Amino acid sequence: MAPLPHPGGRVRASVTLIAAVAALSLAASACGIGGGGDEAGEQDAGPITIGASLPLTGEFSQPGQAAKEGYEVWQEMVNAEGGLLGRQVELIIKDDASNQNTIVADYNALISQDNVDLLLGTFSSLLNLPASAVAERNQMLYVEPAGGSPEMFNRGFEYLFFTQQAPVDRQGQVFAEWLISLPEDQRPKTAAYPTLDDPFAIPTSEGIEEILVDAGIETVYRETYAIDTKNFDTIVNRLKAEQPDLVVNGAIFEDGIGLIRAMRKAGFAPGWLYQSTAPSLGDQYAEGIGPENTEGVMFAISHAPEAETPGNEEFVAKYDEMLGGLPPEDAADAFASGQVLQAAVEGVGSIEDQAALADWLRENEVETILGPLSWDETGATEGDFLVGQWQDGQVEYVLPEEAATTDHIVMGWKPGDAN
Amino acid sequence: MSEVGGEQPDTVRRVADRPVWLGRIAIAVASAYILAYPLLSDDAYYQNMYVLSLVFAIAASGLNIITGLAGYVSLGQGAFVGLGGYTVGVLATRFDSISPWWWVPVAAVVTGVVALVLGFVSLRTRGPSFVIITVAFLFLVQVIAINWTSLTNGTAGLSLPPPTWSVDIINWPFYYILCAILALQQLLMWWIQRTKLGMGLVAIREDETKAATIGINLPVEKILAFTASTVFVGAAGAVYGYYLTFIDPRGMFSILLSVQIVLSLLVGGKGTLWGPVIGAFLIEWLNEVANNNLGGGNTRLLIFGGLLVGLVLFLPNGILPQLERFLVRRRTKGKAGLVGARVEPGGDFPVAHDRPAGPPTPADTPLLEVRGVERRFGGICALDGASLTVPDGSITGLIGPNGSGKTTLFNVVDDTLRAQAGEIWLAGERIDRLPSWQRAHRGLGRTFQITRLFREMTVLQNVVAPQRSFSWSQLARIAVSGPEARRAEELLDFVGMGDFRNQRAADLSYGQQKLLELAQVLMLEPRLILLDEPAGGINPVLIERMADMIRELNSHGTSFLIVEHNMPFVLGLCDPVHVLARGRCISSGTAKEVQADSSVVDAYLGEDFSLESESSRGA
Amino acid sequence: MEQLVQNLLLGLLLGGVYALVASGLTLIFGVMRVINIAHGAFLILAGFVSYTAWTWLGIDPLLGILLTTPLIFAFGWLVYRLVVAPIRTAPMASTVLLTFGLALVLEAVMGFVWGNNSTSIRPSYVDESFTIGELFLPKSQVYGGLLAIVVLGGLYVLLTRTWIGRAIRAAASNPTGAELVGIRISAVAALVFAIGIATAGAGGAIAAVLYPFVPGSHYLWIARVLAIVVLGGMGSMGGAVLGAVMFGVAETMTSAYVSPAWATAVPYAIMFAVLLARPQGLLGSRLREDVVAT
Repeated sequence: MAPLPHPGGRVRASVTLIAAVAALSLAASACGIGGGGDEAGEQDAGPITIGASLPLTGEFSQPGQAAKEGYEVWQEMVNAEGGLLGRQVELIIKDDASNQNTIVADYNALISQDNVDLLLGTFSSLLNLPASAVAERNQMLYVEPAGGSPEMFNRGFEYLFFTQQAPVDRQGQVFAEWLISLPEDQRPKTAAYPTLDDPFAIPTSEGIEEILVDAGIETVYRETYAIDTKNFDTIVNRLKAEQPDLVVNGAIFEDGIGLIRAMRKAGFAPGWLYQSTAPSLGDQYAEGIGPENTEGVMFAISHAPEAETPGNEEFVAKYDEMLGGLPPEDAADAFASGQVLQAAVEGVGSIEDQAALADWLRENEVETILGPLSWDETGATEGDFLVGQWQDGQVEYVLPEEAATTDHIVMGWKPGDAN
Repeated sequence: MSEVGGEQPDTVRRVADRPVWLGRIAIAVASAYILAYPLLSDDAYYQNMYVLSLVFAIAASGLNIITGLAGYVSLGQGAFVGLGGYTVGVLATRFDSISPWWWVPVAAVVTGVVALVLGFVSLRTRGPSFVIITVAFLFLVQVIAINWTSLTNGTAGLSLPPPTWSVDIINWPFYYILCAILALQQLLMWWIQRTKLGMGLVAIREDETKAATIGINLPVEKILAFTASTVFVGAAGAVYGYYLTFIDPRGMFSILLSVQIVLSLLVGGKGTLWGPVIGAFLIEWLNEVANNNLGGGNTRLLIFGGLLVGLVLFLPNGILPQLERFLVRRRTKGKAGLVGARVEPGGDFPVAHDRPAGPPTPADTPLLEVRGVERRFGGICALDGASLTVPDGSITGLIGPNGSGKTTLFNVVDDTLRAQAGEIWLAGERIDRLPSWQRAHRGLGRTFQITRLFREMTVLQNVVAPQRSFSWSQLARIAVSGPEARRAEELLDFVGMGDFRNQRAADLSYGQQKLLELAQVLMLEPRLILLDEPAGGINPVLIERMADMIRELNSHGTSFLIVEHNMPFVLGLCDPVHVLARGRCISSGTAKEVQADSSVVDAYLGEDFSLESESSRGA
Repeated sequence: MEQLVQNLLLGLLLGGVYALVASGLTLIFGVMRVINIAHGAFLILAGFVSYTAWTWLGIDPLLGILLTTPLIFAFGWLVYRLVVAPIRTAPMASTVLLTFGLALVLEAVMGFVWGNNSTSIRPSYVDESFTIGELFLPKSQVYGGLLAIVVLGGLYVLLTRTWIGRAIRAAASNPTGAELVGIRISAVAALVFAIGIATAGAGGAIAAVLYPFVPGSHYLWIARVLAIVVLGGMGSMGGAVLGAVMFGVAETMTSAYVSPAWATAVPYAIMFAVLLARPQGLLGSRLREDVVAT
């Protein structure tokens, strides 16, 4: 035991003894070896528990908080209508701190410790990738609102279902196709693609570039920048030198704000500006770049508060009642995940067989506030995103036409003190 | 009094016998419980928690080698977990016909090689820059993993094929392979602690300069320790990566991983065998509790940060050593310590017959020759072209007023300081460009004016720490028992310190420390020993003993160069004597000749010294 | 050519702010031999304080450094007394761990108080630039850079022209000697720590105008500032300023001419290279102790 002859070498042994016994009893008591265990019979009477872990702090805290709100609004509405299969729904939401080994621990805890009946997904592909692997390993249905990176769907998972309209590489498709359909003289000739190095932002921007290059719009700049980039002056300086007609910025949030602020400082404004994610974050975005600079910014979005999809009005009203204001996109996506889960459970009529729930989703289309969703073998969806645009300090939905809130599209980015 | 000294160790042994066995049983029971857990319970939460704890235990126990033993704190240990993960990720996604398990040993090799290279560039030198380099390394590897997209798939990360075995035993392979790696890691740590390498590392932690003077090859030992501290961590990282099935730069190279590893080590106790393992299980458990029950991310950050601050301030040694100290204090309360015990008369010098003698010094060549050595500190010139020789087989004295440069000369001769000009020759070989340890290997030993012992080591460990020569096999030699330990005990008996062998060096009296330092130097089997004030600050009986021992050693062929202010001691012992003043050797000769030299009197007393004041001092 | 000049100018402006923040870190190291890993966290804290002053009281963040800096100074003094003082003389590895723990605590506390969302401060001039021909100089950066130079100048005067400054320099070059002539090292150390933190505070108020931030942003700042101080030479004031300017330019140039993706590697690469090749940095004393000191 005592590896070194030491004045207290022998004492060390007894210290180890104490510590080991303490650790042992701790572990034993914590995992309930002494008694208890899971009482399976208890479940039927009580509520259906649904577990999720979200990045409530750390890098992805912004969307993580929004997703939590979406889940909570869904819970509230389901319970108000008598619950799921006649049982109340109880959410258990953990915080993974945007941290991968924490999220793995969290989902394991949800499954084994909290014995949840069902799972909902987390935010961002980076976290959904490991989390969905835990669910798959435990053969639990995994419906997730925000892990749309192509990597999610090439692993042959059977329990994974994404609940936005399409994976991220197709997010900008509607916008890009609209742009190339413009008359020759309004169409941009050159485009620049500064992009955040992120599994979400890169596929979005590459998807758009692919379509635009095919249509003959020349790429004059493509660079990725790191997540901790603060100083966008040099990137903008390059952009300014290239003078592209269109800037497509694959962004999350802070970086999108930083890039626009640097463009304003450099006195550079491309004819068109498309950004992913950041412009969909409403007031926070306007506050970050200044409301006068939002005019004409375009982006893809999965949800419009004004959309006439089934249940949307109630959702928006309930959100306003519970939390105040308009629901952010991530809250709506989370709500839609709840709707999809609900549809599967009600479709199958039981929560015992997770495989049956997955099969049901593969075979059926579900109406959500994001529009109808259906899935291919990989769990990816096959719909179209909405295109939003900031107009007069407000977000309007301009494309596709059937979901548009206005038929007016501002032709290009018009930053400045005009309004 | 000497009776007490003789009996005490036995008493301690008897009192503590039972806890040794209880401690072993406790570890065995805890290990058995951990091993049996997956069989007893299919609770995936605890299985996951234990899997993570095992990963952290391996990482912390690995870190223990470089940080606990050698004293170099690394905040980049997480990088090696990540490197292991990436090795398996990159290879498994490229060769999907081969089971990912085959890449686990490959990951160990990859991490080992990276650590070797990093160690080579960062550990040849000393000091606190290491901790900064390790952090910079962690972030640099992360940036590389992000940007080397063709290899790592960038921020999108690598998805491994999910495990193919039955879901009922889904975690078992991960769990048991990690247990096996931890066992290997613990075995490595246990073994290193017992070797000359381990002694050398602790010596480096305690006093790096001193370690070099007793023949410890600093860069080699530190680089070895650093490499050893990462190899199994890489393997664990590989298993961890496969377990997660998803690897990306932000997760794998997160600084918080390193923080958790360092915390595990600090909590459990640096330098202890089981401390890091216990710490890892505790911290991972705390991590889960903070996350699940106390509010998540910010709380966890607060707890980790607060714990780090608290540990550094209040519990720098960790739980195990602290408890141990507490128990030692309780156990020894009311019993006389050894410190007051009298030193044994000592025995004859035990000649080591089994060692080949060094190359003979060519005839007419002095054993040590110092030629025109210079050393300045800013504007002050401590050595200004000092030259002197030590004849082979002599006991040479070096005297001079305070500030004349005697200790600086010693420092220059054994490379504690490097000379700015001049030459130093030992037995016909020029040594002034060699590092301390190589000078020690060539037969140079040295004691310090104010003793420099490895305070946290025992007396015996202090004596087995020196390394006579450098060879890989010697590093692997067991130091705590066998011939090395026997030789050390012989030397301790020679200086009369045999009874103290299990005392902590820090607890010795000053005179005892002087004796111990001599025994330590003798372990080097030096041809020349530099003694810096051997008679300073010790009682007259001991001074006499010291002189006897010097004569005894000299009769067996060891030469001495002695700095001493005790004139009777010098005059009775030394021939020749050199006098140093203002950084130069101003006089040499027999004791009598030197005494008669008027320049020596001037140097000691100052040129304008008046006889009156001398007599008023009663000199 | 114009691009190059533009990038150089941007790099220099950035260098001014870096110099201010780095001077505090190097001052603390020079006197106390403590590498304050929490420096970045104090900077972000000052950012949040200015944010609150801006949103609640409408105080312009750049003018607000008159308010934030004394606050952060007092806080730094308090932190020193409570946490750093007990281990001032401990091995450097201990103080690194301690201040690292402190940074984590501050990050958590900021998360509790201000939330983990991205925060930005937008005074009226934030998007405006001075233009000279084709060149542009963002107003916020110019104001920030000038302010940084003013504060640095003040610090310089404090260190060279006042009794306190002489005491600090004496304590830095020879603590024992300083103690002998009646300087209380512990008091000087507390003062120096607080002054160092205050420079991070002033820098934080400026940085908050330039870039959005979250509690976790402190890692970026400590990495940059540490790289600057290592480059300039630990403990050297002039080295910190020189290092900061060089670093600002190097970062800008890498972003412009190599790739923005590699710009974040610059601080780590610099730390690595300097510590290996020239451990004393440009103008400083050795951080790396060689076996033989020359």
